[in-house]
Amino acid sequence: MSEEEVQAVPEATPDVADGVTGEGISIETARKYDLTPKIMPYLDRHLIFHLLAFMREQQIYPAEELLQNTYDLLEPTNMTDYVMDLWKQIHGKDDLDVPREFLLKREKVMQEWNALQDETAKITGLLENPDVISNFRSDKMQNLQFLKDNHGVTDDMIDALLKYGQGAYSRGSYAQASDILYSFRILSTDSDKVNQATWGKLACEILTVNWEGAMEEIQKIKETIDTKPFLSPIAQLQQRTWLIHWALFPLFNHDAARDTILELFFSPNFINTIQTSCPWIIRYLAVAVITSKNRGASSRATAIQQKQFKDLVRVVRQELYEYNDPITEFIAALHLDFDFEEAQKKLGEAEDVLRSDFFLLGSSETFVECARHLISEAYCRIHQRIDIKDLSQRLNLTQDDGEKWIVNLIRDTRVDAKIDYKNGTVIMNHPPQSVYQQVIEKTKGGYFRTQMLTAAVAK
Amino acid sequence: MATSRFFHGGLSDSESSSSEEDYSEEEEELEDENQDAGEFDESESSEESDDEDEDDEDEDEDDEAGKTAQGQNRSSIFKRGAVDEEDSDDDGLRRVVKNKKDKRFEEIEGCIRLIDNAKKINDWVVISQEFDKLNKLVAKGAQGDAVPKLYIKAITDLEDFMNETIAKEKSASKKMNATNAKALNSIKQRLKRNNRQYETEIDQYRNDKDGYMLEPDVEEETSVQPKPSVIASEQIEDDDDTRSYSVVTRGGKAVQLTRESIFKHLKVIVEARGKKNTDRTEQIRTMERLLELAQAPYEKIRVLTALISTRYDLSFGVLSYMATDQWKAAEAELNTLLRVLEDNPAWVIAETGDEVEDDEKVPPTPAPGEVFKIPGSIVSFVDRLDDELTKSLQNIDPHTTEYVERLGDEAALYKIIVRSQKYFERLAGNDKIGGVGDSLNRTIMRRIDHLYYKPLAVIETIEEASYAFLASESSAESTHPTLQKEKPAEVVQKLCSYLYKKDTTILRTRAMLCHIYHLALRERFYQSRDMLLMSHLQENIHNADVTTQILYNRTLVQVGLCAFRNGLVSESQSCLQEILGSGRVKEHLAQGVGPQSRYSTITPEQERLEKQRQLPFHMHINLELLEAAYLTCSMLLEIPAMAAAGSSPDQRKKVISKTFRRMLEFHERNVFPGPPENTRDHVFQAANALAAGEWRKSCDLIQAIKIWDLLPNAESLKQMLSGKIQEEGLRTYIFTYAPYYDAVSLGRLAEMFELPERKVAALVSKMIAHDEIAAALDQINKTMVFRKGVEVSRLQTLALALSDKASGLIELNERVFEQKSQSGTTGGFQESSTRPGGGGRGNKPRSEFTEGRGGGRGRGGGRGRGGRNVQFSGERSSKS
Repeated sequence: MSEEEVQAVPEATPDVADGVTGEGISIETARKYDLTPKIMPYLDRHLIFHLLAFMREQQIYPAEELLQNTYDLLEPTNMTDYVMDLWKQIHGKDDLDVPREFLLKREKVMQEWNALQDETAKITGLLENPDVISNFRSDKMQNLQFLKDNHGVTDDMIDALLKYGQGAYSRGSYAQASDILYSFRILSTDSDKVNQATWGKLACEILTVNWEGAMEEIQKIKETIDTKPFLSPIAQLQQRTWLIHWALFPLFNHDAARDTILELFFSPNFINTIQTSCPWIIRYLAVAVITSKNRGASSRATAIQQKQFKDLVRVVRQELYEYNDPITEFIAALHLDFDFEEAQKKLGEAEDVLRSDFFLLGSSETFVECARHLISEAYCRIHQRIDIKDLSQRLNLTQDDGEKWIVNLIRDTRVDAKIDYKNGTVIMNHPPQSVYQQVIEKTKGGYFRTQMLTAAVAK
Repeated sequence: MATSRFFHGGLSDSESSSSEEDYSEEEEELEDENQDAGEFDESESSEESDDEDEDDEDEDEDDEAGKTAQGQNRSSIFKRGAVDEEDSDDDGLRRVVKNKKDKRFEEIEGCIRLIDNAKKINDWVVISQEFDKLNKLVAKGAQGDAVPKLYIKAITDLEDFMNETIAKEKSASKKMNATNAKALNSIKQRLKRNNRQYETEIDQYRNDKDGYMLEPDVEEETSVQPKPSVIASEQIEDDDDTRSYSVVTRGGKAVQLTRESIFKHLKVIVEARGKKNTDRTEQIRTMERLLELAQAPYEKIRVLTALISTRYDLSFGVLSYMATDQWKAAEAELNTLLRVLEDNPAWVIAETGDEVEDDEKVPPTPAPGEVFKIPGSIVSFVDRLDDELTKSLQNIDPHTTEYVERLGDEAALYKIIVRSQKYFERLAGNDKIGGVGDSLNRTIMRRIDHLYYKPLAVIETIEEASYAFLASESSAESTHPTLQKEKPAEVVQKLCSYLYKKDTTILRTRAMLCHIYHLALRERFYQSRDMLLMSHLQENIHNADVTTQILYNRTLVQVGLCAFRNGLVSESQSCLQEILGSGRVKEHLAQGVGPQSRYSTITPEQERLEKQRQLPFHMHINLELLEAAYLTCSMLLEIPAMAAAGSSPDQRKKVISKTFRRMLEFHERNVFPGPPENTRDHVFQAANALAAGEWRKSCDLIQAIKIWDLLPNAESLKQMLSGKIQEEGLRTYIFTYAPYYDAVSLGRLAEMFELPERKVAALVSKMIAHDEIAAALDQINKTMVFRKGVEVSRLQTLALALSDKASGLIELNERVFEQKSQSGTTGGFQESSTRPGGGGRGNKPRSEFTEGRGGGRGRGGGRGRGGRNVQFSGERSSKS
């Protein structure tokens, strides 16, 4: 059910004059870099609903249009009451005037729903029965056999469970749908349907903001995609693309999930998918990587972050011709061209873009902070003597703030630098790495690794 | 013999339509005929009866051997004589012919005698040999229409004897030896097949053995039907020629063409196909006349298919090509054929068509809605037409006007291809026909082949012309619902996508390559590069056939040129490297045969094949331009790299382009370099200037290369190049002179290289960030400060290199181990395998161009080295 693609993509209308929204975001920039139309085909209706709701708050597009779009979006679903409300809002009429088809549809939906409930009543009842549950083993087939033998459960009943779950989801009762789909998965042996149920459950978890559950589902789907033999590589690519888009929800809303998802995105299969079918994801990737910088404490975490950052720069470079926005341009300016002025300019734009993006709104503060870090890091690496005034300007800070910032930077990153207060400069000391040091670094792990290898060979 | 003719003549109506000129000509001919028929009256001798027309073939065959042979030869004499109008020649020729005929007759007798002898001793090997010889002689003497009686007698007897022997053999206790039995078997089969042709005669002979042989040589009169009035006047003349000829030669087979006899003639011609001594031009003439007679679509289709294939038969051998007039005629006929097929959708030419067995029957008339299949293959006609044009273009000197004129025929060919594509599309849409096989795909591929290397403007012209042609030609609009004007920018894309979907063979690969080439030609570098990389062709192109490999090379080079035009220097260099670095550019691109390699000797066979593969001149990619682009790119990459490497022995080895380095060394060896003469001189002098920091001189030299003018917007290209030279000049300058500076102001550098200060700062920052130079920027003074004491001694360099190698070794060992024990890796190993630069590179489709190439064609140095390392590490690990 989740595999439906939504065709109705709202188009931006250019007739609203340039202006600034309530939060001071330039409408032009926001529209230019709005990814919603690109993302939408890869999401489910119910997920898109949240994007549209966000857009209505943003006031970037005319409200009436968005309302109409929301209405079009939800019309095929079974959330009849809400659709009716929307209709009323659009047409500005009272309850009395609601067209008959709405009522008819509501009637029909209710009937269907009740029918489904009746159909599955037995099996749901069974699943709630602790005696039955206690007889379950880890083997699916055995469980199914047990139910068939002892309680007269048929395959059709189990399939009805899936439909029931779909119905619940379509009505908007996500928590219920999640439970039903969970039970279905326990019982069903049809791998295609289980896969469907997993997607459905992921959607439910996302919509009920249960991030731990969502992460579990993402892992499950990832495994299915990797292991399941696909008829064509395109189908596999498409599923990965969906997964990537869906994973954006937990990525920016659940801190604990971030590392796992980033790792997932940077795994060769997924980074390829991003590069081939949805390069716009690079924006989210970039923000996620940059904001997670300097968070990890352990050296292992920093190593991973450094590698990810390197990969990110590589991907940005490769895809620059295909996709760019202020965020990727910022990275390109900073790490490919070393053009600090440009980077600073792009950072300003990037902030606007971030604040008008559904996923990135929460990260914009951190992003700017971390991006400053990045700039100053690169700056310090290249320069020997820096004018504090100039640096502060580059970081969009006042001179005093800049000085504080630099002091903090020196303390945090343990750069070998000193401030010459009289001249208002920072003097960086770049001691050349001695050759001996280099050789030692390079050969450090060699002995251990060789030993491990010998041990493994000897085994 | 004379009697019969007289007899016939008396019966028949007299011919009334013969004209005066013919009359006199015929008389001349008559005088030449001294043996027989001389005294017969002209009009009488040319008599014929209508009813005899049917039998004429059979009766012909009854003719006495010698006479027939003579008649046949006379026919050709006459033809020649008629052209030359020289009686003396005629006489001489005739005498020779007569001798020949007699000789052949004797030979036939001799063969039969030998066969008889062999029969007595039951020696089937000899019989088999002689039988072959006999058949050849007969075939030579009489081209399929009449055979000597002697021969009939011989083969009939032989058949009887053979049957007897076989019967005996079955019951015999002692079998004959193996060779003999084998010969018997083979003759049994051949005889059966052979005798089937002469069934009537054999029957006659069987019925009355003695009588048949004694019967005087009946002179068969060929009959000419009174011509239908519809036949054009020239037709009449032609017929008169033949008729008169038939008179004099007595028993000669006159080619009398009527609508009814079309299939008979066709059959004769088809049977003679491939045999020696078949006069193809004669056959073509016959068929052209038949074509004019043909009215029903079935007749037309049959004649046209036979005619076109005979035209193709005219040229054989690999290196000869079809004469232009024949080609044009074939093209016109193919067009007619397609038109007939378009107008009559009930008739279809299909490879699966049922062979027509009996031409005597009335041609079938398809019921409405029914589809009748005629065997044949339009796609092979189109293929052949295309190939012949290519062949002739390969052979014509490209600098003559002839070449240009011939090239003009491509438009006509293209129209045919488009037309047949539409035809196949129609067939494919009709489920009664049961599919068109790969014909449609092949036709589409042909079409792509003619489009992909052309610029848009040319495609537009050619598409428009073919559209106009098709729109005017196809009378039945209803058969062409698909006909529409193609947008020149999309046509290749459209055709290729069709093949991607519908084809799985090599055609798909070729379509992909053509598509990439086309995109590269239209400056879509990224799109074409992505397609090239995602197709994964680099990995398996070595297994493809040679022409596809050539296409791949062409594509690669074109992508490289595209990158060059877009100012992507390193991409361009890596694309061009493989082909240009090989030193055998011409062979790789099939644009000429390069100098023979010292180590491989090419057999004439291979040489011929190679010649066959050559591309016609108009498809060539300019080699000089290629070289200029490649060398310029190499210069822009190599000179700073060489300056950066300085004198350090380790880094000196990292060569980007071996070819460039070798040539540069060669150039430097010149004691007195003169002013640059060719492209190469320009580039290398520019390279030297760049290395010395004289960017302006270098720029001037590069801009003086004339070949750039071949490229569209040469001016912007030159600007791009000088921009690059400025940047690389700056880098080279810093690399070269860093040791002599303590600090250098950015303003000064900007002034020297005429670059904006911001750009200089960015360039320098980049160099610092990538650890290319040991320096740092001073923001206050806007200077670059070089760090001292970072120079490493030779020992230190070596130590660094050693430690690098050691860690590389460990990495390799781990990877080898991991491969061997896919699953059983311990935690420690897993961790190390995910280190940066570890495995998994192969999975990324967007890696550099050079990745994944075998060492087969290119230099492949990297792979070779890798192989050594693996070996080496293997030894090490076994030791440890």
